[in-house]
Amino acid sequence: MKHLKPINKKAEHIERSAEEGKVEEAQVMQVVAGCTSVFDPGWEVDPFGGVAALCQPVEADLYGCADTCWWPAQVPDTINSYPDWNTAAPSAERDWRKLQTVFPKK
Amino acid sequence: MKFISWRIAAAAALMTAATIGRHAPALAGEPLGAKLLKETCARCHTASPSGGFERISEQRKTPEGWELTISRMERFEQVKLSAAQEASLVKWLADRQGLAPEEAAPFRYALERRAVVEAPDDADLAGMCASCHTYARIGLERRDKGEWLKLANMHLGQWPNIEYVATSRDREWWKLASTEIPAKLGAKWPLVTKVWTDWQTHQHVNLAGSWRVAGHRPGKGDYAGDLVVRSKGDDHYSIAYRITYADGTKLAGQGSAVVYTGFEWRGTVRLGREEMHEVYALSTDGNRLSGRWFLDGQDGIGGDMVAVRGANAIAGVEPPFIRLGKPSRITVIGSGLNGTVNLGSGIAVEKVLSATPGAVTVLAAAAKDAPLGARMVAVGKAESANALVVYDKVSAVKVEPEIAVARMGGNGGPIAPALSQFEAIAYTKAADGAPLRIGPMPAKWLVANFDETAARDGDAKFGGHIAPSGLFTPGPAGPNPKRNGYDNAANLSVKATVADAGTMVEGAAHVYVAPQRWVDAPIR
Repeated sequence: MKHLKPINKKAEHIERSAEEGKVEEAQVMQVVAGCTSVFDPGWEVDPFGGVAALCQPVEADLYGCADTCWWPAQVPDTINSYPDWNTAAPSAERDWRKLQTVFPKK
Repeated sequence: MKFISWRIAAAAALMTAATIGRHAPALAGEPLGAKLLKETCARCHTASPSGGFERISEQRKTPEGWELTISRMERFEQVKLSAAQEASLVKWLADRQGLAPEEAAPFRYALERRAVVEAPDDADLAGMCASCHTYARIGLERRDKGEWLKLANMHLGQWPNIEYVATSRDREWWKLASTEIPAKLGAKWPLVTKVWTDWQTHQHVNLAGSWRVAGHRPGKGDYAGDLVVRSKGDDHYSIAYRITYADGTKLAGQGSAVVYTGFEWRGTVRLGREEMHEVYALSTDGNRLSGRWFLDGQDGIGGDMVAVRGANAIAGVEPPFIRLGKPSRITVIGSGLNGTVNLGSGIAVEKVLSATPGAVTVLAAAAKDAPLGARMVAVGKAESANALVVYDKVSAVKVEPEIAVARMGGNGGPIAPALSQFEAIAYTKAADGAPLRIGPMPAKWLVANFDETAARDGDAKFGGHIAPSGLFTPGPAGPNPKRNGYDNAANLSVKATVADAGTMVEGAAHVYVAPQRWVDAPIR
């Protein structure tokens, strides 16, 4: 790590772990069950372990998540699985109350 | 598309109109599950001479796993399903291609909907498979290498951007997904295992009869009571509970349950004003059920439960701890209890306050020099290991769950907020100085900003609030005009203060307030 300098907390953690001989532990994900670890920028948590770097509000780019199936275990993908999910809600910021769960209770 | 849960005993028929008529008629008197496989699934899945079906017979999974498969057939293949058909099909498949108890055990937390931080034992598999859903979701399936590869194929076809998200785009994702990972999965979780082969010879046990139950609901307390189970045939049961909480609350209610694979109990019951779902595992001898129940639509709220039947069986000890030098009421709940209560060395049973075959309550006192730590409790021949903890003082408090995700909801939308129930767990120091878990204790609660960024953004103001019971309710969903149009996402600390003989001991947990889940599968 001589020529690399960590610029965020995650990188600092990896560097510290490497120094302590715990690189493997730093690499295995520790995620709350049911949450995503795709942190670009993240659905529940951002890459920095907070929420400030998430899309705000989530509705602002919700369909940018849906039509690219970015978080398919949280947001219905409208490419293949649920093409009609947001048909009744053209604007997520305005119409989010019309968006239903795709596993509704019978 | 509708989703039909096992919780409401549903069923599916796998068919497409274009393929109707290309199959052999079912035999008269044949079980519905077998009939559906033959009449509907086989329209696409080729039947083999040995009686199996292409792909279907090459997988094993939990009842919830089969539900997911069937729901995918509905979604991808426009299959039309009836509730009764889906229930029969899930039952048929889970019984014949399920998981053995040992196979499901490491991942029961996902079935029980527990708020836990997963600890995958393989970084490669976790990085590949658990970026979107739980590690448990794959750990609860069994396939050989070729079938795991087909699952990778399905993922790439269905969610093509899977190659481009973070943790995928920075490596040769497809090369890994199509070679190393299926090989690893096939070796780690193969279709044929000895435990499953052995379990298939296990005879299904009839659970009809009277059971004693004991458990604990975070935020409410310990409870005990009776469960009466009546058989409706084919592992289906009607169930009735009478429960009393330690605070005196009495509840009664009825419901139904199905036992899959000889040990996977899935029940739905209404107790008082609440409907709850039960995910329990049956012991090999058929005399003990254990697991977690959770409220319908609010799986962050629930409790543990143990049910036992027969002679000399202990379901629980309440409370499960005793302080040195302080006489306390201790109740042992069980079935067929008969004999002297023995709480181990240094604890005197000063008086038996009541004794029935289902519960024995004593007044006990721990001597000042009684050994600290967990110990066995016995009533006659009935024994329960590590059932009672002896402690001297509360030295630390941890809040469980340590990290939780609550989700915004409501505010006129169709998805309710997902609440989180917190609980203060007291610890003391064992003789060797190690932290020793005592158990849950009443606490005073508050919510605070987790860090400076959260304080700057006013997270504690908008993120939610906590009740005296430790129940956290996240803020409402949707853009918040009072927050400049931002939503109520928040990064918060949940702090508990426990009073222990005049000393205040504090602990904290971390809660994120996150957006809704519009996808919430039976296994996340």
